[in-house]
Amino acid sequence: MKKSGRGEMINFEKLLKKFTKLNEKELVKLDKACGWSLNAAELRQAQACFRKTKREPARGELETLAQTWSEHCKHKTFSGPVRFRSKSRTKRYKNLFKETIVKATKTLNKPWCLSVFKDNAGIVEFGRDKKWGLAFKAETHNHPCAVEPYGGAETGVGGVIRDILGVGLGAKPVLNTDNFCFGRLDSKMKLPRHALSPERVFRGVVEGVRDYGNRMGIPTASGGIYFDDGYLLNPLVYVGCAGLIPVNKIDKKVRPGDLIISIGGRTGRDGIHGATFSSANIDEETSASAVQIGHAINGKKTLDVLMKARDLNLYDAVTDCGAGGFSSAVGELGAETGARVRLENAKLKDTRIEPWEIWVSESQERMILAVPPGKLCALEDILNAENCEYCVLGEFTSDGRLLVTFDNETVADLEMDFLHEGLPNFEKEAVFPAPAARRRPSEKSNKPYLRTLKELLAHPNVCSRHSVITQYDHEVQGGTVIKPLQGRFGDGPGDAAVIWPHSATGDMRDFSGFAATHGFNPAVGRINPYQMALYSVDEAVRNLLCVGAEVSRTAILDNFCAASPKDPRVMGGLVLAAEGCHDAAMAYGAPFISGKDSFYNQSKDAGGRQYPIPLSLLISAVAPVTDIRKAVTINFKEAGSPVYLAGICRKGFGGSVYDELSGTGDNLISEVKMKDAVRLYAAVLKAMKRGFVAAAHDVSQGGLAVTLAEMAFSGGFGAELDLDEAAAEKGLSEPELLFGESPSRLVLEVAKEKEPQFLKLVKGLPVKEIGFVREEPILDIRLGDKRLLKEDINILKGLWKRELL
Amino acid sequence: MIIEVWTKEKYSVNEEAGLIGRLAHAGLPVKTARLSRLYKIEAPFHKKDFDRIAAELLTDKITERYSLSARPALFPKGPKRCARPGLKKFYRVEVWLKNSVTDVVGESVKEAIRDIMGGQPRNVRFGRAYYIACGSESRLKRAVSTTLMNEIVNVYSVTKGKAKG
Repeated sequence: MKKSGRGEMINFEKLLKKFTKLNEKELVKLDKACGWSLNAAELRQAQACFRKTKREPARGELETLAQTWSEHCKHKTFSGPVRFRSKSRTKRYKNLFKETIVKATKTLNKPWCLSVFKDNAGIVEFGRDKKWGLAFKAETHNHPCAVEPYGGAETGVGGVIRDILGVGLGAKPVLNTDNFCFGRLDSKMKLPRHALSPERVFRGVVEGVRDYGNRMGIPTASGGIYFDDGYLLNPLVYVGCAGLIPVNKIDKKVRPGDLIISIGGRTGRDGIHGATFSSANIDEETSASAVQIGHAINGKKTLDVLMKARDLNLYDAVTDCGAGGFSSAVGELGAETGARVRLENAKLKDTRIEPWEIWVSESQERMILAVPPGKLCALEDILNAENCEYCVLGEFTSDGRLLVTFDNETVADLEMDFLHEGLPNFEKEAVFPAPAARRRPSEKSNKPYLRTLKELLAHPNVCSRHSVITQYDHEVQGGTVIKPLQGRFGDGPGDAAVIWPHSATGDMRDFSGFAATHGFNPAVGRINPYQMALYSVDEAVRNLLCVGAEVSRTAILDNFCAASPKDPRVMGGLVLAAEGCHDAAMAYGAPFISGKDSFYNQSKDAGGRQYPIPLSLLISAVAPVTDIRKAVTINFKEAGSPVYLAGICRKGFGGSVYDELSGTGDNLISEVKMKDAVRLYAAVLKAMKRGFVAAAHDVSQGGLAVTLAEMAFSGGFGAELDLDEAAAEKGLSEPELLFGESPSRLVLEVAKEKEPQFLKLVKGLPVKEIGFVREEPILDIRLGDKRLLKEDINILKGLWKRELL
Repeated sequence: MIIEVWTKEKYSVNEEAGLIGRLAHAGLPVKTARLSRLYKIEAPFHKKDFDRIAAELLTDKITERYSLSARPALFPKGPKRCARPGLKKFYRVEVWLKNSVTDVVGESVKEAIRDIMGGQPRNVRFGRAYYIACGSESRLKRAVSTTLMNEIVNVYSVTKGKAKG
């Protein structure tokens, strides 16, 4: 007996025994009580399937269907049909994902994309000799982190690391990334009883990412933190991982007769229904069983076993046990063959567990291997040497069936085709009523510009992240060339991390590396989701450019997070953002190689009203750095060097930090001119590769004044600047010039002796000299004869270097 | 047996400041607070075996000290320290993971004990203790549930302590 959603006691067994005869009301009641998160039509489809077999399903079979058909595993929202209506048009998508994001990748058809959208991570070519692939993946672990931040973050990191271990025949992780969205720490909003305070969530998440990444020996070196009260009840925790894989280990194929081996952690009751939990709202009834507990030491043992076994060709295929546990992992690997599983062989944490619970448990640190029987002994030797637990769960067959038993009891007996193809699709409605654009330029602000700059530097979305970054080991493996904290004193901000993965390649003579970074602009998305996607891709590409990465070979990941897609406005924003992703990928020549989405990020607030997050799109990007010794950092390097602004300053404060501070209500978004940006970036990269650029930093949150201040105090140099010469749109106000966040701009310090050659390269482009670096630690910004602001850089740095945690 | 491990007072300033900051953020301004790690070990060992586990496995001799008693003195240095304002009344808060929640620290310690002792304990659980000098138990409980524990995975208890002196 268990309570249904309305607190009514229901009898599972009774309902399950007559599953095919249940009416819709009873189906919904059963679904709620079992925590499957399937909708009525999906339940009816499952009923129809079992009617054909003329028998009632076992609990394990329905659990398998619920896991496999969950939003987490099947991405029903993104891959389903959508009808988008705007003022002037109606557009229908059969598969939103394929018609936007995948379409861009297919059209671009880059030869250096080695594996996209078909495995646990995307893989692009890496290195001088083309012998390596760079695998990259980012995931979210939002719901678990809202419930138990430490465990949720730990297992989020563990999960994405296992995605890298489970791509192809296994990649070696060389970089972890982390991006978080929390409610404002100073929020005054009353929280509902079950909600944790943002400070609590923040601390727990950081500790979880720290403990797992550090113990696994993987550097956490790239990421960001964003504060907005939209995330008060539903924080977002994006975790990513990049790894290196030999190109001849990318293909995997399960063969009938291969043994199904589970290695790593034991199976327990923790994490049951994690996959279906991702399709549900968080409320007071959320139980501890949805929380997963990470065990980094077991994760490390698993990593070490896999890398050795991979190089000895001891298995034919591998995947991770993620959402849905054995049910998803075995189902996925055996999709084309069939599988016979004997759950009594599983290593258990707790013997009081039901067979179906073993099948769907999301206990962590488990990987599933397809091992030819003749290679089992050799694999066992490695497992025993590493003290890594394992069990032989069964074998892959050739009959296209999934047969799961526990002793003599049948837990599931399903056709693989039904499991993977039987999911019904529904057309979702999408609309997006765009707000009217309002520009409120304040030519004469009451506040001195210096005071505004100081407030911006201390703003939680601009200030230093050192109190978080320094908790992470970003040096382990010895390949972090450009670190998350940069500059003369190692405490300035950075645009991207540059990794030299010699620990994976073992090649100390090849100086090929890669840069990793992100773009994230939910404030723009509130006004214009299409532009949000463009801003995010542009920001990510520009960040890569700032360290000297080969931006023409940028590969990107999309991670969408939104509230309930049942709301047509949420769906509308999603459609526009997906269209933006397509257009940006095409314009920048940057294919999407993998991605993930997370929906139902909404909860009831203290007043009982639904409180959704803003539509959030994280773009994660990687690009090769041909020679890591030439990578560039953001800090000013030498007094006397000229400072250039590349890009045009445009009107509008829409989505900016300045607008939040000043409350002007200006929501004008200056559009991304993608073609112009691509031309500009190509020329700047050429100059960087020739050694003409000593420092580069993008103009983003807080605007140009913040960028200049950060470059100055990170280098310990002052600067004398006149913005009169900066390329700017006609009619631009002084605040817009100083604090506007229009896209596609970066500040460059040019090596003085190379200035003539630099100017030749950027001829005809909006690249203008705005001043020079000086020894005296003063930031002095003028506009012609008018001084806009002047301050000691150490005072500015002091304000910026806030302790967030 | 519960082994309690403390950071020595001359090294504990930062962790205490962190705890005081967390409590303040949770609406409980206090001047003094201390914390320790707890290892509950269920094993048929002698006291000298537990001493060995505590000294060789769980404690850094330079920066930490341990106690085998579940309720050690809060401020063992004598009456002078206890006479400081705000220290006369304090509470001891113990936070443990629920029994149904996998305790990975406990599991690792269990394996380590097996390695050094030869015999494996029946069970090891890891927890934390907080010693907080404040006047109101109800306010303390509110702060603890806001910042030091999570009802979904933790259980906690609050007991009134006495300063030795």
